[in-house]
Parts: sequence; structure tokens; C-alpha cells
Amino acid sequence: MTTIHVIENPTLEGKRRAFVLAEDRVGHYPEFREFFVKRFSLDANALSRPGYVLAPSGMVYALVFIGRSGEPFPDGIEVYALPDALEPLNDPEIDADLWALLRWMIAGVGGAWRVEDLDATGRLYQLSVAAGA
Amino acid sequence: MDASGGAQRFAHEQWPYEPKFKRVNGWRMHYIDEGAGDPVVLLHGNPAWGFLYRKFVKPLTAAGRRVIVPDMIGFGLSEKPVREQAHTLDGHIANLTSLLQQLDIRGATMVCHDWGGPTGLGFALSNPDRVRTLVIMSTWAWPLPPAEFHKRIFPWRMMHAPVVGPYLLGRHNALAGRGMYLSVVDRKKFRAEAQSVYEGILPDLGSRLLTWTWPRWIPLDNSARGFARFEWLERELRKSKLPTLLVWGREDEVFDHKTFATRFKELLPHAEGPELVTGRHFLQEDSGEEIAGKINGFLDRIEGR
Repeated sequence: MTTIHVIENPTLEGKRRAFVLAEDRVGHYPEFREFFVKRFSLDANALSRPGYVLAPSGMVYALVFIGRSGEPFPDGIEVYALPDALEPLNDPEIDADLWALLRWMIAGVGGAWRVEDLDATGRLYQLSVAAGA
Repeated sequence: MDASGGAQRFAHEQWPYEPKFKRVNGWRMHYIDEGAGDPVVLLHGNPAWGFLYRKFVKPLTAAGRRVIVPDMIGFGLSEKPVREQAHTLDGHIANLTSLLQQLDIRGATMVCHDWGGPTGLGFALSNPDRVRTLVIMSTWAWPLPPAEFHKRIFPWRMMHAPVVGPYLLGRHNALAGRGMYLSVVDRKKFRAEAQSVYEGILPDLGSRLLTWTWPRWIPLDNSARGFARFEWLERELRKSKLPTLLVWGREDEVFDHKTFATRFKELLPHAEGPELVTGRHFLQEDSGEEIAGKINGFLDRIEGR
């Protein structure tokens, strides 16, 4: 498995939320906000539940959507890994999962935003996760 | 040797100045204040800190000038807020204003580079009684059009795009490392003497927030958050009669001199220059001593020395 799958009801028992990344302004380019709204039905679900995704490592991630008065929803996103409660994170795996999440997001945003440009940006900045892309 | 250890060693060797601090709008701002005479304020941008001016301090103080180099809130040895909402263009101008008012700076030369441009010029144009001259390098002060570089998705807009920015510039410190490396001419020298300092001063994801927040403040259209402030900057700058020196890197691919220095020259037809030196966007890295010499020469001419 090399991509991201949205899942509905992951098992949360025995897991912890491990914070890995935050985006304070997901609507900086509005098409990114629109992607998350559509992909996770946020017009209907709003703040009722996180979005869950299964990543290439097998780790489940919770996307917690943040609202802020006066701003379209969601204004921000926090990304949490859901490892076994007392287990440490495997940083290289987390990094690769996040890269897969970005590629999935860019593909979903579409239009002028191309996965090829993300890969090229990753290679320009010498990210190991982008080396083979 | 890890990045932060290397940063401390190199920074101490090349930046042996007494650290000073002031509270500005509630934040702890670091600056150095060296020498005596008419003040020269050296302003950095993203993702640098005062260290960018390490080759300026001695020549300027040796020429009988007082040199003040602040680290923008969010960079260098200044406090680094962890919330994006802590950073606004007006807030950063007010931070600089607070510092220079507390120091009761008068007759200043404002040396403005990158985001030190909009912030330093914002201070100068709102505090004309405190400023004597301007030196402008690789920056801009108008809402539109943006640089061609800033309009492109690859690599600029992709690098700071939602979620991508915190990953690439946050987790991987891409701007302070590889980004600056790509924006100098002598990359071998930069890697040997400076890169680890710029990387090490931003050691953790939480300390790098401003590196992807500032790019999002560059106006790409009239819906941008800073649009009205940039309109004001352009309008007020056009009225300015302050003696001004333009210095640009010949190899600058971000704010290329043919577009950006020329635009400043149109706004400030009395300005000297542009004086072209070896340099890409971070021209201080390639031509620090030479630019310091040009600033001394410019001020000597004004002072009739």
C-alpha cells in the first residue's frame, strides 16, 4: 500500500493521539480547504468527529479540524498519529506517511496543483522520502 | 556534532557581540548594539537573523557608527511564538517600532533586506523624525505585481502550501538549510561557515513557524492580508525624500534587479544606485564587506566626510 485511505471507524481502544503536525491556515489557498470539506463531508460533520486515514505504514491518523470565529471552516488542521498507547513513534515511518498524505492531498486538490510539482519540490529540498518519486 | 551544537560554536566565533533584549509588544526581542555614532539599523528577513550581517558590524563601527541589529520576533535569538496568529505585517512593524522607540533612536540609517524591507520601511515612513537615510536590498514595497518567482507553484507556492509548509519548512527546515544554500553564489563557502548556524538557530519544528508564515504574507492578488499595508508603503515611499542607496545582487533570481531595483528607482528617483554586487537573494553572504563599504561611502558623502 502506498497511498492514503479514508476510513470511517478505526479502533481507538488502547491507542493514544500523538501530535505530529499542525496547519493554522488551511484556507491560505482556498482550494485546499475545499478539498478537506468535500473529502470529509465537513459541511455535514463539522466538528462532530475527526477525519481518519490509513497511511502506508499501517498507522491510522486523525485529522482534527479547527474552527475559528469569523473564518470559514475549517481554519486549521491538526494531524495526530494513533499508535498503541504506550509505544513510541517511528519517526522515519511518520515522515513517509506524512509525505504520502501530502501527495494524496495535492492529487485531491488538483487543478494547478500537481503531485509532480510536489515531488519536484521534495527533490529540490533533498527529502529522502521524495528521492524515488 | 548536531546542528544546534555546530550553530552555537560557529555563531560564537563569528558573532561575538553582547546579546541584548527588550520586551516589544509582549515578546522578547534580541538585538545587538555596538559602537557609537549615528545609528545604522540592519534588518534581516526570512529565515535569517542578525548573523546575516556579521561582516557589516566591524566596518561600520570602525567608521564611527553605532550598529543595531535586531532579530525579528520569530527568528534568531528572539522569542519564537508558536501560533501563526502572532505574526502580522503590522505587528512586526510595531515590534521594530517598539524597540527603536525604547532605544530612542534618531537619525537612523535603515538597512532593509527581504522582510526587513516592508518592516523597516514601514517604521521609517511612520517615524520620519527618527530616520535619516535608507539602504534597500533585494526586497519590495508595493502590493502588485509579485515577483515571477513568487507566482510559480514549483517551488515557491508548493513549498509553503497548506500542510506542505509545516511539513517541508517545519519538520525539514527546508528554507533555513537548503533554501538559503540555493540563494547564495558561493555555496561551498556558505555551507562551511554559515549554513549550520542558520539551521541550528531554528532547531525544532515549533521554532520554524515564521519560515512558512511569512511567504503567505506576500501579496499575489488584491485579496491578500497585507494588501492595504503594501498600498500604503508604496504611496508613502513615493513621497519620501530620504537619501537612499539601492544595493542589489547581480545574480538575484527572487527579486531580480532589472524588475525590483528599477521599480524602487522609479519610486525614489533621487536614490543612488542600484549598486550591483555578487549575490543572489542573500547578497550579504557573498558581498558582506563590499556592501558595508558601500554603506560607509554613501553615509560619508551625506555627512560630507
